[in-house]
Amino acid sequence: MMGMQATNLQNLPENYVMKFWMYHAMTWPQISFVAEDHKGRIVGYVLAKIEEDSEEKGEPVHGHVNSISVLRSYRRLGLAKKLMLLSQEAMASVYKAEHVSLHVRKSNKAAIGLYRDTLGFEVAKVEKKYYGDGEDALSMRLSLKDP
Amino acid sequence: MSKVLPTPAKRILPSKEATLFKELLTLYETRQLKKGLKTSDQILKKFPEHGETLCMKGLVLTHMGKREEGIDLVKKGVRLDLTSHICWHVFGLIQKGEKHYEEALKSYTQALRFDKENLNILRDAAQLQTQLRLFDALVETRHTLLRIRPTLRQHWVALAVAHHLNGNLAEARKTLEHYERTLKNVPDYDIEHSETLLYHIHLLEEMGEFSDALSLLDINAKSRSIVDRAAIMEYRARLLSKLGSDEAEHAWRVLIEHNSDCYDYLRGYLSNQGLSLDATSTDALTILRQFSTQLPKATAPRRLALNIASRDDFRDLVKPYLLSGLTKGVPSLFVDIKALYCDDSKRQIVEEIVEAARADFSPDSTSPSPSSSSAPTDLEPTTYLWTLYFLAQHHSYLGRPQQALETIELALAHTPTLPELHACKARTLKRAGDPFGAARCVDEARLLDGQDRFLNTKCAKYLLRAGLIDEASAILDATSPGADLEDMQSLLYLIEEADAHYRNAKLNLALKKYLAIFNEVEDDQYDFHGYNLRKFTLNIYLTLVKWEDRLRSHPAYVKAALSASRIYVALHDDPSIAKAASSAPQLTDAEKKAKKKAKKAAQKVQEDVKKAPAASANEDKGLEVTLPKDDDPEGIKLLSVADPLEHAAKLLHPLSALSTNNIDAWLAIYDVAVRRKKFLQAVKALNCARALNHEHPELHIRLVHFRQAVQALPQQLPAPIGPLVTEALAKLLPDEVSLDTYNGQCLQRHSSEPLAVLAAAKVAHALEAPLQEVEEIVFGTLREDSKLDVPSALQVVTFLTSIKSERLEEFRKACDVRFEVSTVFKPAEELQGLRKRAQVGEEETKVESPAA
Repeated sequence: MMGMQATNLQNLPENYVMKFWMYHAMTWPQISFVAEDHKGRIVGYVLAKIEEDSEEKGEPVHGHVNSISVLRSYRRLGLAKKLMLLSQEAMASVYKAEHVSLHVRKSNKAAIGLYRDTLGFEVAKVEKKYYGDGEDALSMRLSLKDP
Repeated sequence: MSKVLPTPAKRILPSKEATLFKELLTLYETRQLKKGLKTSDQILKKFPEHGETLCMKGLVLTHMGKREEGIDLVKKGVRLDLTSHICWHVFGLIQKGEKHYEEALKSYTQALRFDKENLNILRDAAQLQTQLRLFDALVETRHTLLRIRPTLRQHWVALAVAHHLNGNLAEARKTLEHYERTLKNVPDYDIEHSETLLYHIHLLEEMGEFSDALSLLDINAKSRSIVDRAAIMEYRARLLSKLGSDEAEHAWRVLIEHNSDCYDYLRGYLSNQGLSLDATSTDALTILRQFSTQLPKATAPRRLALNIASRDDFRDLVKPYLLSGLTKGVPSLFVDIKALYCDDSKRQIVEEIVEAARADFSPDSTSPSPSSSSAPTDLEPTTYLWTLYFLAQHHSYLGRPQQALETIELALAHTPTLPELHACKARTLKRAGDPFGAARCVDEARLLDGQDRFLNTKCAKYLLRAGLIDEASAILDATSPGADLEDMQSLLYLIEEADAHYRNAKLNLALKKYLAIFNEVEDDQYDFHGYNLRKFTLNIYLTLVKWEDRLRSHPAYVKAALSASRIYVALHDDPSIAKAASSAPQLTDAEKKAKKKAKKAAQKVQEDVKKAPAASANEDKGLEVTLPKDDDPEGIKLLSVADPLEHAAKLLHPLSALSTNNIDAWLAIYDVAVRRKKFLQAVKALNCARALNHEHPELHIRLVHFRQAVQALPQQLPAPIGPLVTEALAKLLPDEVSLDTYNGQCLQRHSSEPLAVLAAAKVAHALEAPLQEVEEIVFGTLREDSKLDVPSALQVVTFLTSIKSERLEEFRKACDVRFEVSTVFKPAEELQGLRKRAQVGEEETKVESPAA
């Protein structure tokens, strides 16, 4: 958890207090993953949750990727893709999640490329001014049902 | 035993008020605070001395943000009705909100005396007992809860977990088995049940009951009661291995095929075959090679093979690994590989291969060598770039700054816009003793990719290393100001900024940051003592509890505690430090600016707080203490404590149990103990340090110090301590050896080790040798064969400064010559200039980098 938080603080503008990280790990321990270097230091993570209440709103149970990050110095190793795949699989197998959703900054071309081209996500809608600094978010989702 | 107490007359209300009181309780439960306040006033109008109502009103007021007024009422209410469980419960809630767990538990215990079976009170008490790690009491409370409501599933697992925490695994097991027998109609696909079963299996595994664990696992995996397939596979492989079953190998293989980059799986597979990843082994190597072939996308088996391969095997394996990394342009390749350099022959091989690759890839390579494995024609030009990048890091790491800089300049000439190259140059300069140039370079990297937080953070870190604290804050403010970084516990930021203040001799500010580390993480676990039991996520919960117990072994805490304790010791030895800091020193312009800004920000927070209540008077602010205004932003109060040693002892206390392998921790514990006159503690610390490394230079200083301290005592220590200390001292440093001789022998044994030489000089100084003699020893660090490096040379500078040596400049000059790239040894005026240039670096005006 501390490693995840440290990586997040080093890398991303969206940060959270420790208890937020704990809350996710304690509630859905199966679907978040970390990548470590050969010394066991954390260099990337994916933090995910399950939207369960949504059943009432007519939405099926689905996973949501809260935050994913790989240290700049550990890019081009395919870590983000591996982390995403592990999380997606756990969401489907443990929680029977029907799809997985996430938000991404509109300007983040590299990430959008990974989600759309590599992992098969599609843009569901655009959320205006989603981020603290006023940037729009793309809301993306991927079905987890067997094709 | 329990006797029913008669209700005291003063508590009984007439029926109208009694109804109102019930209403008040409901209003509080539903957090209708404003109405609750009105109702309580209605009762109090007629019965101003009604303790329970006073407490409830106080509680409501506290929730509404009127903490002081509220707490006064609660205290008054408790005094007026000392036998009311409501009064004590409310008092306990308030204390819990203040994070005074021990006092809160006392109040809860009082409340339970008067209402033995109150579920809410029992549940809260259990959480407090867990937080305080009072496991005997916890088991009892959980028992009571289960007895009152045996139908509630979570009461069963809660009792099992309590037994488990209390170290009684057999009882935990019995409780779970009993619970599972009573279960009826578990719905299909019940994740909570699944987690409970996994917990049960884990418990059996911990008890060493592997075959029971395995059969429980197999039955429930088959019936699909356990839904976490990944967990099933992991547990199975582990249990089969522990049982020595033939099936284990297959189980591990399935896991590896599932996630081939998980070191634990590969380690599990090999250790099941009796093989390890820590020693050279041809058998293990064969297996890893097989996995590499079968799973072409996996990187872990390839990388691990490099650890255990040697000589020709290593050469064969590392070549494709390196070339593929260079061609793909993997930025972490060097960091990944350098761990292998502890083996000189491997380092040599890597260097040969990459140097050859550089010749092959070079655009002006005259004759593409035919032996080259990759045809140069279809090479991307970036491959050459990444090769240069690798080599630059390689030379920098091996302490060859000149070569590193030459290589990096070639790369920069090739592609000036790759931030990694600038960052690499920065790192080289930093290592070689030029923090200002380093800060400037990393700032260039940052400017090339302004969006990137990673570079931003790096830049701030380097500015802090160069002592440019205000400039660093300016950079950090762009993404996340210091206060936020503290709330989020950015350990990198807290430690680096504290260190920077420490180096700049701003001990008050340093102490403030050091003490901010982990000040809340232990409180953070509180809610989970209840939450996880309701969610049935039990395995992860036990991991959390263990993690919290070991929290203070985290390197960041250890570092902060050691540095803070050094400051406290310095304060004890020289109390004038605190006075000097508090007598408002001359602020620099930048500091004034920063102060003004901080003040403004603080004002804004205050205004926000003021605005908030107007928005809704009914808003629940909870019971937790909202952060009070920081009345000591400069850390002056922290520095002016009357008993610095007691503070230091408290910080170090967790380390004596958790960091037993850290010699620095024992040395710090000694420093504090001997000053507190805790001589047995001091002896223990020295003995532990000695067991770890009996030749450690800092230990040498302490041993001499201890003999002097004991001899300087006005009278002998009383028995039994006195004789014990004398005996221990005689073992550490035999009586018959004079301290001068002892010091001289140490110096001779370690004459090429700069820190040992420095230690000998410090001891000579403590033994009141003439200054000239001390300086003579110090200058031994400059001898040809001395392994002097920049950090130890800086320590020497600090020491020479502290003894007011006139040969300081001579030493600096010698270092400046010896460490060509360095700037830290330049004369003071020149350093000022360099500082300024590093500051300018962050503006648009680009400073030309000095020729390498």
